[in-house]
Amino acid sequence: MKQQRNLAQRLGLGMKRRASSAGSLLGKVWAHKQGKVGLVMVGFLVLVAVFAPYIAPYDPYDVSQRTTKGLPPSSKHLLGTTINTGQDIFSMLVYGTRVSLVVGVTSGVCIAIVGSIIGVAAGYLGGAVDTLIMRLVDIMLVIPTLPLVIVLTNVLGRDFWIIILIFVALGWTGLARTIRSLVLVLKNTNYVKAAELAGASRWHIMTRHILPGTSHLVIMSTALSSAGIMVAEAGLSFLGLGDPTAISWGKMLAEAQSGGALLFGAWWWIFAPGLGIFLAVFGFMRLGLVLEEIANPRMKRTSSVYRLFRSLDSSYVEEVFNSMDDYQVMGSEVTGGGGQRYGTGLEA
Amino acid sequence: MKLSYVIKRVLYSLFVFAVVITLNFFIPRIGVDDPAERYYPPQGNMSEIEYEIVKQLTREQYGFHVSTWQQYLNYLKGLARGDLGTSFRPGSPKVLDLIAERLPWTLVLSVSTMLIGVVVGVGFGVVAAVKRGRWQDTLLLNASTVMVALPAFFIALILSFYLGFEWEIFPAYTDSTMVSQFAWTWEGISRVARNAALPVMSMMVGSIISYAQGTRNAVIAVTNEDFVLTARAKGLKTSTIRYKHILRNSLLPIVTSLGMSISGLIGGQVVIEQVFNWNGMGTLFLEANNTNDYPLMMGIMLLLSGFTIFAILITDLVYVLLDPRVTVGDKR
Amino acid sequence: MEQVLKLRNLKVVFPTDYGLIRAVEGVDLDIFHRECVALVGESGCGKSVTSQAVMRLLESPPALIRVDALEFDGRDLTQCTEQEMQEIRGRDMAMIFQDAMTSLNPVMTVGRQIDEMYRRHNGDSKKEAREKTVKALELIGIPEPRERANSFPHQLSGGMRQRVLLAMAFACMPKLIIADEPTTALDVTIQAQVLKTLRGMQRGCGTSLLLVTHDLSVVASIADRVYVMYAGKIVEKAPVKDLFTSPHHPYTVGLMAAVPRLADEKKQFTQIPGTVPSPVNKPSGCYFHPRCQYATERCRQEMPRLKPTGKDREVRCFHPLSAGGEQQ
Repeated sequence: MKQQRNLAQRLGLGMKRRASSAGSLLGKVWAHKQGKVGLVMVGFLVLVAVFAPYIAPYDPYDVSQRTTKGLPPSSKHLLGTTINTGQDIFSMLVYGTRVSLVVGVTSGVCIAIVGSIIGVAAGYLGGAVDTLIMRLVDIMLVIPTLPLVIVLTNVLGRDFWIIILIFVALGWTGLARTIRSLVLVLKNTNYVKAAELAGASRWHIMTRHILPGTSHLVIMSTALSSAGIMVAEAGLSFLGLGDPTAISWGKMLAEAQSGGALLFGAWWWIFAPGLGIFLAVFGFMRLGLVLEEIANPRMKRTSSVYRLFRSLDSSYVEEVFNSMDDYQVMGSEVTGGGGQRYGTGLEA
Repeated sequence: MKLSYVIKRVLYSLFVFAVVITLNFFIPRIGVDDPAERYYPPQGNMSEIEYEIVKQLTREQYGFHVSTWQQYLNYLKGLARGDLGTSFRPGSPKVLDLIAERLPWTLVLSVSTMLIGVVVGVGFGVVAAVKRGRWQDTLLLNASTVMVALPAFFIALILSFYLGFEWEIFPAYTDSTMVSQFAWTWEGISRVARNAALPVMSMMVGSIISYAQGTRNAVIAVTNEDFVLTARAKGLKTSTIRYKHILRNSLLPIVTSLGMSISGLIGGQVVIEQVFNWNGMGTLFLEANNTNDYPLMMGIMLLLSGFTIFAILITDLVYVLLDPRVTVGDKR
Repeated sequence: MEQVLKLRNLKVVFPTDYGLIRAVEGVDLDIFHRECVALVGESGCGKSVTSQAVMRLLESPPALIRVDALEFDGRDLTQCTEQEMQEIRGRDMAMIFQDAMTSLNPVMTVGRQIDEMYRRHNGDSKKEAREKTVKALELIGIPEPRERANSFPHQLSGGMRQRVLLAMAFACMPKLIIADEPTTALDVTIQAQVLKTLRGMQRGCGTSLLLVTHDLSVVASIADRVYVMYAGKIVEKAPVKDLFTSPHHPYTVGLMAAVPRLADEKKQFTQIPGTVPSPVNKPSGCYFHPRCQYATERCRQEMPRLKPTGKDREVRCFHPLSAGGEQQ
């Protein structure tokens, strides 16, 4: 069997499709205008989360400041203070980054791992395994997610890690489904067929040939599901069902509402956490969409073709058109312009 | 062929529903040997003997004194009679009655959000697709990238802040008399409409944009199909191509996305109801959660899941009507 | 002879992220009354783009189009509005596409799709249109035409679907039909039947035909004159007999060698080495030189002009071949 595999390799049949290394992928994202936006935002948030104690000017948990209640933004309190407890909102915002990022990214990564394993198993093994998994996906699809999360936190507890576990347990279905359909395509490619003929084991084919082929999808979905989980986490904390000990953006919004921000016009108390959520979700979303575009250029929104069309330099286009003329090549005759223009089609 | 497909879909939906029912029964029993402990967690001021007595009473009241298997059968029997169980609230009201009281109010919000979302969203999506690359399309693209990062409850807070408190255009909290003094009069209905304005607006934004985005992509995908080129080569008028060929074919993916969106819409409404203190199933669910009223929680879950299954089934059947190619087999 | 189509110096480019795709680079076409002209080339050479540009079906954006003259039946199409073009399309010039499965609307019965032609261009009522449709389907060789008209495309066989497209194209007795790879998606036996029907209909209706294909055997069986296209340019133009007896351009020779023939089994079935150049980054000089065994330094530097070499013959090559495949 080993001999056969060597033969297949020498013939170039069982060649591994290497995923582009992390470095070059990052470079590609950076080269993309939207990708740069996403990377900068996410990088910024990571820095804020890591250095939160150095960035935050006050103790966000300090609820004893009776003199500073309900201050609007000023140089002393960048984003003002809360009305009921006098906490510094900027410091809370900075610390809230930690919860959002940790819950979002950890769940995102775990979802990617679980989802791809289940997806590959369903797609490659097929048969009963596939049927079972796909039925499970169908079932999870019909149970409204947020209520189910609430029930599960009630039953299992509201500990930080349990919440992540719940998000992962409910979040893998979408990715598994996509991976499965991709695997069904990969399964029929020549290099997988060749490896099968060469006698490679199922495990070998799954881990060496099929899994690498799905890598771009997995990376992309990590970013997208992180963003999705951040929204869900914010919602859960907003309902007061998140980890009760941590400061999170959703909880800040809930406190703002119950603490009278609406009533007393403390707009800063509402906008600050909202901005945090927006930045984090938007950043990860951008990253995910750019990764998707890099992995599959055809996914590109067609509008970009139109933008490209409008941004064309007309003198360059004329030059290209003129270079096509037979006469110019001979250098003896001058061409008579670029010919008649006409537009056509549904656009008219 | 088609009939067998329909039967297959219906049977499959029933199967999914049966699994959901089973899950519903077992989820509250995760992690505890005695469900009575879950339904009545130990209280600090109770002695052990007192707690034992309370547990015994709880078991008998909710039928936990028989084996789990027997409990499951009893649960199924109850469901078959249309009995979703008994709430843990004082006076032991029936779960179904509690839900029935709130359901219409929830439907007011979800149905109007959905209707506005579909009508405006699909219209906007078609316009964006037809004018692709122009400002209408760019507007949709930018709106969707921004809105997807803004949770509905944040939008709700902003709307409540400005339209509710600052400018006092709409009530920021649901008027408690809306429910208690409701009558089918012009005044009663307009009061509901005024109170529903902010919750519906908060949810509407997201649903309009997601339907618009879905529609736009569907219409553009169809526009790029070969048969549209054929239709153009036939010399058909632009309007004929648009309405008889492109839109007709775009309906298929739009209908599918409608079915899929229902579950999300229902789940998301829980938070919005909470923000505006709306007297619907969402707030009922949260109340149940806060009081560990499992029969009520699971009853609501079951209803929501059943509704979603039904909605997806209907979408699938509409799909069959729309697409002559569907015979047997899953296209999703 | 009356000229049906006159196309001069058609150029089409498409913008992409990787630069401009130079799809068509100055193509001239002439089609006369009742004539069948073939436009031959490998996929990606710009032949489909050319055929769509003739009907003004290319959308701009994304396409950028220039043309010195586009005259159809004595009418200057470049001056027509889109409304006028819509009236001309289908009625005076029609198109048959390659893949009938995707070229027919999947959720509309084939009958209704043909009815649309009569209703649009003849102003017929639903009933009149259906009568004509049934007649057309019968003429094109579809059994039980009345029942078949109520079928959806997926319920028909490949050959039947292609016949539906034929019936649609011939519905209004147009002056010109453009058939873009009309038989490529079909089995060989069905191919021959459909081709025969196409040829018969063309003769019977007195229509001119522009046949766009990569398949020289199709060309041999049906065309009167041939244009060979390579990388966006016409490289050879000849009457069909002359082309097959003495191809002048090395590319034409290569194309012919790639057609398996029963007659001389001794001759090896060969492929042209290399691939079609990327339309974004074409080679210098003659576009064919990297694949041409006769290429010289001049071919690498300079693009040859299309030069007449005989009656109604032109070739774009510095070293055209004579009969027998030897270099002149």
